[in-house]
Amino acid sequence: MRKATLKGLMAHKLRLAATALAIVLGVSFVSGTYVLTDTITASFDSLFKQVTQGIDVAVRSEETFGGFETGEVRDPMPASLLERIQAVDGVRVAEGSVTGYAQLVGKDGKAVTTGGAPSLGVSFNQDTQFTAGSTVRSGRLPSGPTEMAIDAKTAEDTGYVVGDRAKVLFQGPARDYTVSGIIGFGEADNLGGARLVGFDLATAQEVMNREGRFDEIDVAAEGGVTPEQLRDRIRAAVDPRYEVLTGEELAEDSAAAINDTIGRFLGTALLAFAFVALLVGAFLIFNTFTIIVAQRTRELALLRCLGASRRQVMNSVLLESVIVALVASLVGLGLGVLIASGLKALLSTFLGADIPATGIQFQPRTVIVSLAVGLIVTVLAAVMPARKATRVPPVAALQPETAFAPTGFRKRRIVLGVLITTVGVALLLAGLFRSEGNRLVNVASGAVVVFLGVAVLSPLIARPLARVIGWPFARAFRLPGNLARENAMRNPRRTASTAAALMIGLALVSFVSIFAASIKASTTEILEESVTADYILFNDNFQPFSPEAAERLAEQPQLAAVAGMRFGPWKLDGVGKSLAGIDPVTYQQVVRTEVTDGSFDDLASGGLAVKDTVAESSGWTVGENVAMEFPRTGVEQVPVKAIYEDNSLNGDFLLGLTTYERAYADQADSQILVKAAPGVAPADSRAAIDQVMTDFPNVTVRDQAEFREEQARQIDQIINLFYSLLGLAILIALFGIVNTLGLSIFERIRELGLLRAVGATRRQLRSMIRWEAVIIAVLGAVLGLAVGVFFGWTIVRALASQGITEFTVPAGQLVSFVLAAAIAGILAAVLPGRRAAKIDVLRAITTE
Amino acid sequence: MSAAIVPGDTTETLAARAVQVTKVYGQGQTEVRALDNVSVEFPSGRFTAIMGPSGSGKSTLMHCLAGLDRITSGQIFIGDVELSKLSEKQLTLLRRDKVGFVFQAFNLLPTLTAAENVELPLAIAGRKPDRAWVDRVIDAVGLRERLAHKPAELSGGQQQRVAAARALASKPAIVFADEPTGNLDSAAGAELLGFMRRSVDEYGQTIVMVTHDPNSAAFSDHVLFLADGRIVDEMANPTAEKVLDLMKKLGG
Ligand SMILES: Nc1ncnc2c1ncn2[C@@H]1O[C@H](COP(=O)(O)OP(=O)(O)OP(=O)(O)O)[C@@H](O)[C@H]1O
Ligand SMILES: [Mg+2]
Repeated sequence: MRKATLKGLMAHKLRLAATALAIVLGVSFVSGTYVLTDTITASFDSLFKQVTQGIDVAVRSEETFGGFETGEVRDPMPASLLERIQAVDGVRVAEGSVTGYAQLVGKDGKAVTTGGAPSLGVSFNQDTQFTAGSTVRSGRLPSGPTEMAIDAKTAEDTGYVVGDRAKVLFQGPARDYTVSGIIGFGEADNLGGARLVGFDLATAQEVMNREGRFDEIDVAAEGGVTPEQLRDRIRAAVDPRYEVLTGEELAEDSAAAINDTIGRFLGTALLAFAFVALLVGAFLIFNTFTIIVAQRTRELALLRCLGASRRQVMNSVLLESVIVALVASLVGLGLGVLIASGLKALLSTFLGADIPATGIQFQPRTVIVSLAVGLIVTVLAAVMPARKATRVPPVAALQPETAFAPTGFRKRRIVLGVLITTVGVALLLAGLFRSEGNRLVNVASGAVVVFLGVAVLSPLIARPLARVIGWPFARAFRLPGNLARENAMRNPRRTASTAAALMIGLALVSFVSIFAASIKASTTEILEESVTADYILFNDNFQPFSPEAAERLAEQPQLAAVAGMRFGPWKLDGVGKSLAGIDPVTYQQVVRTEVTDGSFDDLASGGLAVKDTVAESSGWTVGENVAMEFPRTGVEQVPVKAIYEDNSLNGDFLLGLTTYERAYADQADSQILVKAAPGVAPADSRAAIDQVMTDFPNVTVRDQAEFREEQARQIDQIINLFYSLLGLAILIALFGIVNTLGLSIFERIRELGLLRAVGATRRQLRSMIRWEAVIIAVLGAVLGLAVGVFFGWTIVRALASQGITEFTVPAGQLVSFVLAAAIAGILAAVLPGRRAAKIDVLRAITTE
Repeated sequence: MSAAIVPGDTTETLAARAVQVTKVYGQGQTEVRALDNVSVEFPSGRFTAIMGPSGSGKSTLMHCLAGLDRITSGQIFIGDVELSKLSEKQLTLLRRDKVGFVFQAFNLLPTLTAAENVELPLAIAGRKPDRAWVDRVIDAVGLRERLAHKPAELSGGQQQRVAAARALASKPAIVFADEPTGNLDSAAGAELLGFMRRSVDEYGQTIVMVTHDPNSAAFSDHVLFLADGRIVDEMANPTAEKVLDLMKKLGG
């Protein structure tokens, strides 16, 4: 029996090749993701070990406002703490250092940006043990108020060399410095993409608003004292609100922060795409094995006649799938390494993240998971066809093969399909509209179940749908079109499951495009409805900038209102929230807000304004005090001054500027909204702004139209990344079409021969195959569009409270997806068509 | 034109002919001489039967005549056209426009109805069918009631009649039939052969048919006997008895 299986396998090796390819691609994505994230993780681990190598113990204040919502906020430590630590027994030397915002201005006068990593100003330690982590590539470390050092990557990007003078931006006034040195970190040119400007301690403290305070205190131990001993001693000597870590712990903690982001977001996102690819692959595998079993009906029946048991037949098919899965998974595993390096390059270009170089990390977990995933998906997908194989009765060997696939179980299929789809929709809606449980998992599994449900139902509609879709082809291309349409209709299950694979990819693509279009439309809506400002000023890296910018703009006569917005984290009963600090007088001139109770004007003397839904659910009314916990001042009772309707711009909380200034250490604007004075030409008001902003090159100036375009462009960028990753799923689905057509041609060889014998040209056969592929592809696209529009609608509706108020269907784009699917169908038909055209007419009509 | 001396002018016109045709399959050890220097003519309006033992080259001869297979040497003409000069594409078009086929089995496309199968060569050519003619053919094979049925819903005999109707529908110069009654019982076979006979008598159709059955051969005007790739005998106006006698003689 095993021998028969292996022989069969060899006989179908071509037919199985496309199947294997689907598994190869899916598995390679899984292994590629692991290799990539492992490699990045390892890189950062070693990078931070390098940077902290001279530090035995580090002290910093506890994270007051940690977590994803608000970002990392730590209060600086007083200088007195340093003296206390220096006095601890076993401390050879202890130094304080500071880290804050500093951004270099390039030779072109523009602020040097990053791909999302921070622009940091740091101080350099004095002791050589501490500075061992950084490597001076040229020049020397800065000393005195006029010198700075920059990282090697920034030097390379900007062209600055030792001795050059350059401007640096801070939250306070900008200043000029001379480059005294260029530093690296061992092999690495920078710290994970961050731009670094380094000063001596006193200078750094001054420019970053840290006079007499430190962000971190580094300690070196005396000989014979281990870092752990020293850590415990210091811990005992200082207030428990300070964190005391060994250098190693600090490195791990720093790396973990980045790696967590990479692992959680990048890893999860990539694995999600791998999952989609595998799901599509599963359809392909299911389809291939179903067809192979159908084609082997006689062979299997003969085996049964000769005494093979049902179990043996089932095992024979499953064994075939296991072998295919193993081979394909191994190839996929290898390919994953290539994909990892490809993705790494993609990441660098798309996100500008410089990933430090280390050797490719290939862990046992990668091998195990990849092989397991490949095996499980394949075998699961092959189980149903294998079971079908066992139902082949021995007499089938003696009966002529029927041209038509059986179409039984209609009722069962309808009930099952509707049931599965309903469960999927319920899961999806639960994930979207209920706050309990893991919502992302609910939404994702809901989507998968919906796909399965639609796939179960699709054979029921495949025939009529193929009839409709095929109609224009039958009209336009006569016989080939007509035959293509008939062929697409003759086996609705096969057509449907081939199309279903494409449906998944297209559903996701069209969902993403609907989602993006809705976000864009909502942005436009918000801008038109709520924003009366003519200009919007912001920093590309979401870095707050000096309030001086707003102050100087306010002096310009061409401008009527200049409103700076400052953002800040706070806590309500220990739960992290965020707010915007505003000056109500100017803010009301640039943003339209419907106040339902109280008055914005009252915010002038401080206090809080709250969105109506939030006020309602918290039971707050105007005049009531809210216990707000701020990073600097702790819990404060802040009175509610106004309650407003949502306008998607104010957010949930607005804090009067006077209160904000008291509650937060850093005073910097994140955004400035500007309204031109009445009667001033746009060119004049723009000129006035640009004139002031030459001193603030890290701030981008946009008028409303530009802002809208830019937002759209940014969305498009992300969307394109999605498209390219989803392209993989679509590619696999196309292999599915190639495969199905190839197998069908094998099945219909006599028909093709007959057609050729009675005078059909090769070109006509090719075009017949082509239009069949196109009909299947368009069928999949149409199904996918339907599902995608449904997904888009529910998810956009669910996010209405997040500011996505408009549901927009980009009809033109969706139509172009269908056209693209049709073109893809044409491409998918090239090989099968060639094969069909090449058949030996005589052999086709004479072989039994 | 009238001044030109056209070969065959003096006799009846020829629908097809083979001139010293040899067909060799394989090479060296495995070489099979399926046709060995065969010359034969098929006059228009004649119903010719080809007989011979299994493996004698009947199908090969028919395939070569119909342009389905290339010959090793010699010449084949359909009408005035010499096949070896034609490209693959031209051969296909010639089959489409000049030749009709009835095979032993699997003659029809399962996705098309009987009517669509009948008009298949015309549809392939993108030609409008001659309605009156097609209707006559369909009536002649008695398929009027079955036109909307798919092949799977027809009996074997009905399927073969559809195939025969298809072979005639495009008014080909010549129809080739390779054991068209091979899978039919004698009644269904006789019905099909009767139709073929009528199409020769009434419409002047040319038919070449391969058969093993003396009774079938009796429907033809002329029988060729093949053995080992050579024409070993022929007989005009055959009857089943005469054919059987000759077969016994040849076989012995
Ligand atoms: N494609 C081929 N390759 C090699 N040999 C072939 C091929 N086709 C036919 N032959 C050989 O050519 C010879 C003639 O075959 P052909 O099919 O013409 O016989 P036939 O008279 O039609 O027989 P039957 O009555 O069994 O149909 C046979 O010996 C056969 O084995
Ligand atoms: Mg034969």
